[in-house]
Amino acid sequence: MTFAEPAHPPSAKAPLVWALGAAIPWAFAVLAQIVWFVLDGRLPWLHALAAVATLLGIVLFVVVVPMWRYRVHRWDLDPTAAYTRSGWLVQERRIAPISRVQTVDTYRGPLDRLFGLTNVTVTTASSAGAVRIVALDDPVAQQVVARLTDIAALGAEDAT
Amino acid sequence: MTGAPVADGWQRLSPRMLLVHPVHEVMRQLPVLIGSLVLGSATGNPLWTVAGVALIVAYGLARWFTTTYRIGPEEVTLRTGVLQRSVLSVPRNRIRSVSTDARLLHRLLGLTVLRVSTGREATGDTVFALDAVPAGDVPRLRAVLLADSLPPQPSGRVLAAWQPSWLRYSPLTFTGLAMIAAAVGVISQSGLLRTLRDSAVLRAGEGAAQGLGVWGAVAVGAAVVLVASVVLSVTQSLLTYANLMLRRDGEVLHLSHGLLRVREHTYDMRRLRGGTLREPLLVRMFGGARLDAVMTGVAGAGEASQLLPPCPRTTAEAVLVDLIERPDAVTGTLTPHGPAATRRRWVRALALPVVASVGAGIAALTVGIGVWVWPVLMLLAAFSVFLAADRSRSLGHRAGGGWLVARSGSMQRRRDCVAAPGIVGWTVRQSWPQRRAGVATLVAATAAGTKRYEVLDVPADAAWTIAATTSPWLAATSWARD
Repeated sequence: MTFAEPAHPPSAKAPLVWALGAAIPWAFAVLAQIVWFVLDGRLPWLHALAAVATLLGIVLFVVVVPMWRYRVHRWDLDPTAAYTRSGWLVQERRIAPISRVQTVDTYRGPLDRLFGLTNVTVTTASSAGAVRIVALDDPVAQQVVARLTDIAALGAEDAT
Repeated sequence: MTGAPVADGWQRLSPRMLLVHPVHEVMRQLPVLIGSLVLGSATGNPLWTVAGVALIVAYGLARWFTTTYRIGPEEVTLRTGVLQRSVLSVPRNRIRSVSTDARLLHRLLGLTVLRVSTGREATGDTVFALDAVPAGDVPRLRAVLLADSLPPQPSGRVLAAWQPSWLRYSPLTFTGLAMIAAAVGVISQSGLLRTLRDSAVLRAGEGAAQGLGVWGAVAVGAAVVLVASVVLSVTQSLLTYANLMLRRDGEVLHLSHGLLRVREHTYDMRRLRGGTLREPLLVRMFGGARLDAVMTGVAGAGEASQLLPPCPRTTAEAVLVDLIERPDAVTGTLTPHGPAATRRRWVRALALPVVASVGAGIAALTVGIGVWVWPVLMLLAAFSVFLAADRSRSLGHRAGGGWLVARSGSMQRRRDCVAAPGIVGWTVRQSWPQRRAGVATLVAATAAGTKRYEVLDVPADAAWTIAATTSPWLAATSWARD
């Protein structure tokens, strides 16, 4: 038996939000290096080495990884299950039956709110079984939550 | 004799705890005790010491007076705390298991600690523990506490009982070595080593070592450590597991073990979702295995889930068959994972010796290294080859008939048997090397045991087939294609 891939990509704004989220800590790293260079300009080769490492890190985590993740991330729902594909270097496809869903949570970080994105987490009784549908446009996320809570008779049974 | 009744159905713990609490409190408040001793001797006024001890003892006594419990019609409640009061309530129909534990002092006084578990993992203040009630009251309390969730069961039969011969598997654990390492660490930290250095014993030892030469001394040292670790391991195993008895009464599983400190667990069989046969290499070599329960509400690793310590493999297998009633899952042949998985085992195991050899070669050509390096490298390589072969041989799975069985590992080989109804989700995970090799790791998510059970490195196109064979609902989803 083969298993089709989930159909829907996340919001088109997702790579931008991921890139910004990754850029913030890297901005601090750049700032720290500038301060270090201004305060102590000796050992230029060490500064150059650190700068190259930072640049490589920025290119990888701010440019490559968000685009890569956007190509990988997919989600899908049908009347019986929630199904996602996620990751970049390590990729995961995860499926959970809606009859075993315990809660449907949404999470919106500061950046998500700025760009109107919502992350939906579908939890089951297992800590290894939570299905995360990340970076959905707000209206889409609302539909997803409504559909999930509709199908899942939440609290009907023990679901373990 | 039940603890003295207080008003309104509230009961106290056994009055004998008036003896135990102060002793435990003195042990727990050792820093305070030492502080008051120091203060007493420094000021020349022994009253300080007396006051310190009196305070601690009074606190211990106060704990008995302030701890009460009530078994109400709907819930059981425990009120504790001398200064900070806390109230813990557990609905009676949520009680999943009752376990007991009696340390030495408790046993001498005929007392038992009784813990109530609801299936949620509780720690610290959220553990419902009656510390302690008279041991004679335990069967009655157990019956009362479990009456709502587990009706009385017909008395059943013994699944396994401890035999002295099981001790033969215990010298083969690393427990003893770990204990010795810990002891050496403590001794060297405390500076005891420095005082030992000048002792007569050590000087005699040094004299003997010089007589033996370097290799002789090393051999004698190794033998001493080995014997000590074997003695420690066997003693520890004897104290912990002697008198082990696994009994099944209908839907209830009773486990009790321990020589001085007796522990008892009660499991609700309806929560059982399978079992794990664990065969650590050193135990497996002598035909032994241990058995863990896969159960919701019971942590998957450690003492909580352990049903059998290292024992003959046939015993562990027979008990698991008895519990899950699926002999094919426990002993049936497994489908191997194919050449790609085998190749990955070899690449991984041989990476370390290859890198080490290259490093040693470069070092030998540039700076020069001792001759002893080469035999060590050869030993490492031989062990790695064994590891790779053994890991490849271990890999296997079995799906269908409502069960998922997965085996993997060498040093810690395990065979997980998980019931399909307990699986609440599936993950197919592929790292970059796995994608290149065309394999995937299939993860079954469950609320029981370790929460995740992995089928390592199955061919990528077979992963979903295994999942769908185990959980038929997968084939009914809109993504399944023939």
